[in-house]
Amino acid sequence: MAVLAPACSFWFLVFLFPIISCRGQRIIKEEPPADRHTPYNFIGRRGMVVAAHPLAVAAGLRMLKNGGNAVDAAIATAITLNAAEPFASGMGGGGFMVIYLAREKRATVINFREKAPRAAGPRMFKEKGEAEEEWRTSSGLAVAVPGALAGWHLALRKYGTRSFAEVAARAVEIAEQGLVVSKTFSDINKDEYERLAKNAGEGTCYLKEGLPYEPGDIFRNPDLARTLKLIALKGVDEFYRGELAGKIVASVEAKQGIMTLEDLASYEAVEVSPLQGTYKDNTIVTAPPPASGGLHLLQFLNILENWPLKKWGQNSPAYIHHLSEALRFIFADREQYLGDPDYVDIPVASLLAKDYAAAVASKILAGRPLGFYPYGKFPEKKPKQANTTHLCVMDMEGNVVSLTQSINDFFGTGIVPEGTGFLLNDHMADFSSDPQSVNAPGPGRRPVSSMGPLIMFKKGKPFLILGSPGGTRIFSSLAQIILNVTEFGMSIDEAIEAPRFFSYSSEGKPRPIFVESRLPQSTIQELLKMGHEVEVREAYDKYFGGAQGIMVAGKKKVILGGADSRRDGSGAGY
Amino acid sequence: MKKRLFVALVALFLACSMILSSQSGQQTAGLFEQPLLITSAGQNAEVQIAAVLAKRTGLNYTLAKLATAKDLENMKTLVLVMGTSLKGLGAAGLDMDKERERVTGLVAAAQKRNIPILCLHLGGESRRGQQTDELISEFLPLARMALVVKSGNMDGIFTRICQEKNIPLVEVEKTVDVLAPLQKAFK
Repeated sequence: MAVLAPACSFWFLVFLFPIISCRGQRIIKEEPPADRHTPYNFIGRRGMVVAAHPLAVAAGLRMLKNGGNAVDAAIATAITLNAAEPFASGMGGGGFMVIYLAREKRATVINFREKAPRAAGPRMFKEKGEAEEEWRTSSGLAVAVPGALAGWHLALRKYGTRSFAEVAARAVEIAEQGLVVSKTFSDINKDEYERLAKNAGEGTCYLKEGLPYEPGDIFRNPDLARTLKLIALKGVDEFYRGELAGKIVASVEAKQGIMTLEDLASYEAVEVSPLQGTYKDNTIVTAPPPASGGLHLLQFLNILENWPLKKWGQNSPAYIHHLSEALRFIFADREQYLGDPDYVDIPVASLLAKDYAAAVASKILAGRPLGFYPYGKFPEKKPKQANTTHLCVMDMEGNVVSLTQSINDFFGTGIVPEGTGFLLNDHMADFSSDPQSVNAPGPGRRPVSSMGPLIMFKKGKPFLILGSPGGTRIFSSLAQIILNVTEFGMSIDEAIEAPRFFSYSSEGKPRPIFVESRLPQSTIQELLKMGHEVEVREAYDKYFGGAQGIMVAGKKKVILGGADSRRDGSGAGY
Repeated sequence: MKKRLFVALVALFLACSMILSSQSGQQTAGLFEQPLLITSAGQNAEVQIAAVLAKRTGLNYTLAKLATAKDLENMKTLVLVMGTSLKGLGAAGLDMDKERERVTGLVAAAQKRNIPILCLHLGGESRRGQQTDELISEFLPLARMALVVKSGNMDGIFTRICQEKNIPLVEVEKTVDVLAPLQKAFK
């Protein structure tokens, strides 16, 4: 298991770890702190896995130790999350992964985002009137064609060394034997009870005798184990063209959906070039549109380069004010430009131009909100949970995977194809409700995603591998973590656990600044004095995501792993 | 064998006693009549769970997440499921002020019609916090009985208010344990 360290700063570790190693104490056996929110870095020298559930981490680590590479371990972790954290991702969903191949010094991206069925149209939700939201999230119409299995398979085939059966083995065991339900699982299970009871039925394995699971209960999913074994035996085509495809379509149709066997048979995950940008001396590679998280993150960091952040101080009133104002401008652009790049022209280069960022930064006033934001057409969204999940892996060769996957809302639509044990996504909800929008639903289109898995390079070498769930808060949270590391010298887990905030614009008007309650009251008062509306949320709120990250420190290659305590994040190195 | 039977009977007696009486020994059986109206105070997800529990106990209930005074027509009990959910409020298009206004109006109407209130808190520790606590402080004192999952009362807020107002309080370990005392609370 991992080398573990107490809360300590990044620089402390950089200098201390080699000394500890020289004394032959490479493994510091230390128990994690009792308070799970206490910053805590997992440490390794050869490899590292961080993910949203300890069982998934263990599956990835086992793969690394058995000689698998970072891609093998990442897919093993991703599939195990389907069994151990089924409410956030799984084969009924999709995502993006950024892969860095150390020997080739090359990064690539696999886009396994879901697609709209071919019968989808721009008014498909609008015409539902007042019931639109229900149709977008809790019906068969909400289900987009899943891409996860195709993505996992493509990554394994091109860059992995193991078979699907090998990488899925631990997930099968967990699904069969069961796992102890955590407080996070139980809380989310209660929150999504209505949707599960309605669409999966009270007899589903996702409820315990028709009621939500309590912490400490055992959750088993034998149907999922059988499904994974079937795919291992017959191949991924079983999901897209075989018996499983029939069950998926039947379950979607039963809930008034429009997905067909042809939609599933024609789905393909695709390999694309990464989106690249810089923050000061660091290069960042991330997933390109329709993933928007990386694009907006780069826009955000470009704007922030214009300000003396270190002088203002982390989470100071000036810092939060300026970052919130920048977020409001970015959300205006998001609504204006972001859609599926296969169908709409996104001015990526213009949005990422440093002079455009400087122009935005110059508009922001020092002591009060601007009050109006060009292209402020970002529709006010109802609050959603963090959903989604992120994992990072680094192997001993220096190969890296940063992978974000999701079924959208927690427990997706709540629809489980009969006898399969996996949940279907509600990613059709990520299309705009405005039929005129560049992100309106259309046949075969991929909805804009907020995901932003990334790898940051320093002097050409991976330095920070990062990602998070959290819907539209993803890129804001990732930027705050990057700043905590690069500007304020924090270790990866300190950076992840630090208090977060978020804001956006709606129809040209600023929305509140949402803050975790750990921010000092004096800071909140100062923001109020400036004229901001402030909404205080929980101390460690899943609303702001559940980030996982790896940081490579020093010439001796000390690998630090950070996992977010806002969920059940965990890590392990060796 | 006889000894085992005796132990089992004693255990059964104790279990029944726990169900029929509150922590303070107050009577909790048959305090309410049917039909009952179930709504939340705070738009939490547990209101749906309360409805399933009511269904399982065979109670004649109506679930109305946005219940107002007119929904009390023909009702003999108002069940308030306490707990604030920002997600739930957002989905209902409400903010806390509007939700408090709705519940205040509903409770006032119930009192005017002499309809007793049963307060439930099923969300445990996670469904606490400042906004929930404000609702508890405001509406729990008006209840005839409270039924809560224990982890939601770790700081004793329900115990304190119920003792002050002489309200019978039943604590259970898990959500499913609500079934028996809920059934017994109704005639």
